[in-house]
Order: sequence, then structure tokens, then C-alpha cells
Amino acid sequence: MSETRKQWYVAAGLLAGILLVGRGTAHAMHISEGILPFGWAAVWFVVAAPFVAYGLYRLKQMSSVDLSFKPLVGLMAAVVFIISCMPIPVPTAGTCSHPCGTAISGILVGPAISVLITAAALLIQALFLAHGGLSTWGADIVSMGVVGSFAGYFTFRAARTVGLNLWGAGFLAGLLADWTTYLTTSVELASGIRGEAAFFPLLGKIVVAFIPTQLPLGILEGAMTAGMVMLMYKKRPDLLVKMRVIKAEEVAA
Amino acid sequence: MELFSEHFKKDHVFARIDARVKLLVAIGLLIMVLSYKGFFFPLLMAALCLLLCIVIRVPVRVFLLRFSEPFFIVLMVTAIKFFFAGRDPLFSLDLHVFTITGYRDGLLSGLLIAARIFGAVSIVAVLGFTTAFTDLMAGLSWFRVPKGFIEILMLAYRYIFVILEDALVIYHAQKNRLGYTTIKRGLSSFGTLTGSLILKAFESSQSTTVAMVQRGYDGNLPLLQHKPFNISEILCSVLFLLAMGVAWKI
Repeated sequence: MSETRKQWYVAAGLLAGILLVGRGTAHAMHISEGILPFGWAAVWFVVAAPFVAYGLYRLKQMSSVDLSFKPLVGLMAAVVFIISCMPIPVPTAGTCSHPCGTAISGILVGPAISVLITAAALLIQALFLAHGGLSTWGADIVSMGVVGSFAGYFTFRAARTVGLNLWGAGFLAGLLADWTTYLTTSVELASGIRGEAAFFPLLGKIVVAFIPTQLPLGILEGAMTAGMVMLMYKKRPDLLVKMRVIKAEEVAA
Repeated sequence: MELFSEHFKKDHVFARIDARVKLLVAIGLLIMVLSYKGFFFPLLMAALCLLLCIVIRVPVRVFLLRFSEPFFIVLMVTAIKFFFAGRDPLFSLDLHVFTITGYRDGLLSGLLIAARIFGAVSIVAVLGFTTAFTDLMAGLSWFRVPKGFIEILMLAYRYIFVILEDALVIYHAQKNRLGYTTIKRGLSSFGTLTGSLILKAFESSQSTTVAMVQRGYDGNLPLLQHKPFNISEILCSVLFLLAMGVAWKI
């Protein structure tokens, strides 16, 4: 066995150990307050800024034609806040983690508005629950808001274009939104904490260390997103048509 | 969720300080903590914040519980730095299949990050305990944060409690009907719960808009008006930041 591979196994084993010892709720998606040095925290704010600005532009456009759009976005932010605080059991890690909820908001209101929704939910969580942080708000917006929302939205659209049914498209969107969020979080974490160490080997170890929680969590998030889309399809298909998730003909069919 | 802002305390001097001043001080202290290279300043911040929480009678348990999530990250980051990001071995454990090596410099740098996390989380926790949400929003609007975003924050904050209540009702109903007895049933129940919340959000947005329009809503929510700055508050804050700056230089 090569030395690198051995080290990766050790990384996975150690994290599994930490999770099993802790057996609490692991909010691994949020980068905690203070974890990034000042320079890296600033870099992620700069990366997040244009996406937030575009989201605000889209919000202004949409709310000028529909007065109920801002309240809808506020309510969706409240739902994403609650979803991303809900502990769900991760059987392989023996602990609880939380879903992102960004895939469903990306699918329903579009990725640009979903970035805003996530930014609002993250700011409230940082201020009042110490999930994430003010200094890491930019990094968390990039990983959960930008990457999660865009990955969820484009996966859903691509899956529907190739003819996948609603459940399958929702599942894939939730799965990939979660996994890409976790990969981005790993990149942010590795770049922030590496110090003198080489970037890529450390990134690999962080990715491996997150696997016990995030691999099954992605599958759970996929199932949850598919469940949400299907529930909406059964109860209020008109809303899915209104939000351009499905076409009107599909409801009749 | 019981730890939400119900622990905000109104009856002390820190709650009466202008939210804009508190935001500026908090951001200044955060920058100092993040750019500090040792243990002293972040731990000084954590100690001062703990002391402040005791003075304003925030239960220590509540203050410490704010660290439950950061603590998990601290454990993970310290472990990664200790075992994989060092050059100076502290110990080596031969497990036949592979060898685990702990590095002295990795441990030190992991603990430095841990201290930074404790210091920074303490500052933001105190900001949350001493400032009402509406005051914070008014402060953000003074800093030219786009109004549309502040409106979303205010609507979200208002409806978190309403939707949380609905979520708990649905969750207890599902639990009473054995909705979480197996992983498969749990997943299905969780999907139904979250889907119901989304539907609730869509339906409430319509009724909320109707109610708001009846009260004169024209697409913009009114925000709190800013009071003029209190010179003594500004002077005290500048002196405090200067004192902390001296501590930061040590």
C-alpha cells in the first residue's frame, strides 16, 4: 500500500472516530467563524459578491412585476434556514448532520435568487446560532449558495432535458448540490488552514475525512429533494408550472 | 432551536449602545482575531466575552452551547493539522498496516486555529446576545447594505418562528404515527415535512402580500430610523478598540 493511500485511510479513520466519539450534530457544511485567516476570508467575499449582486438585480426585476415575490423569497429563506438546521441521522457515521436545502430553492426560484436566499439564511444562522460566521459568510455563500444552487439547478434542468422523470431529476439535483457543496467547502478549508503544507495532498485528506458523513448525506439530501418535488407535484402542480419547473402539458398528462 | 435570540437581554447598558457602533467594534475585533498569529489575543477575546455574558446574565450553559458546532470543526481541523500537516514528529505509532505520526508543529498550528475560532465565535455570540435583530437590520441599512436584501432578512426572521411551529406540529404528528421508525420511513417523512414547509411558504407568501398591501405595502418595507450617533459611545468604542489594538500588538 502506498504511503499516500495509507495516510488517506488514517484521515478517514480519524474523522470517523471523532464523529463516533462526538455522536452529536455535525454541521460540516458551514465553515465556522474564525477558521479562515483574514486574507482568505476576504477572497471568498470577493468571489461571492458578483453572485449576490446579480441575485439582487434579479430580485428587483422580479418584484417589480410581482408584489408577492419578495415575501416569497423571505419565506423561502426561512424554510432554507430551518431545513439547514434540522439534524438528520447519518447511519454510516453514527451521528447527525444537516441538509443544505439549496437544491430545492435553486430548482424553484432559480439559482440567482437562491444565492440570496442562502445568504440571508446563513447570516441569521451566523448571528444567532453560531452556525457559520460573519467572517466566513463569503466562503459559506460560495459553497452553499453559489455552488449548491447552481449545481442543483443545472443538474435538474439537464436531467429533465435528457428525459429523466421528476423524482430522478430531483434526486440527482439534491445529490450533486450536496456533494459539490462539500467539495467546495473542502477547497475553502484546505486553502484556509494549510499554512506551510502543500495544498492538494491536504485537500485530498480533508475530502476523505468528510466522506463518512457527506457521502451518505448527499444520498439523503437527494431523496429529500426528490420527495419535496414529488409532494409539490401531487399537491400543487400549478406552483411548479408557475415557477417554470415543469410544463403545463406535463400536469395534464 | 431553543437557543435562538430569546437570550437577547434588554436590561443592561450594552443593549442600549447603538447597533452601528457595536457592529463596527465587532468587525474591528474580528479582523484583529483573524490576523493575529498567536494564542493570546483570541483567548483574551473569548475570556472577555465570557465575562461580559456573565455580567449581562446570559446563562454560561447557553454561551458554551454556542460552541457545540464550532467545537466539532475545531476537533477535525486540529486532528488534520496534527497528523497530516507537519514536519517535526512528536510521536509515531506503528500499527503494522500503517504508521500514525503526530507532528508538533501541526498540533501547534491546529491549536492556533482552534484559539482563533473560540475568539471569533465569542465576539459574534456577544453581538447576538446584546443586539436586537431589528436594530441590527437598521444598522446594516446605515452601512448601505442593499435594502432588498435587508427586507428579505426581516421577512425571513419574522417567518422562521411561524414555519418552525408548523414544522414541529408536522414532525410530532409524523412521530406519533411511527414516521421515523426506520431509515426509509424517516426519509419519506422528512421529505414530506420539508415539502409541506415549501408549500406553506408559497401559500403564505400570497396571504402575507395581501395583508401587507392592505396595510400600505408598496413593494418596500419601512426600516427603523437611525438616531444620531452618541459621541460618548463613539469615544468609548474608539478607546476600547485602541486598548485592544495594544493587546493585539503584544
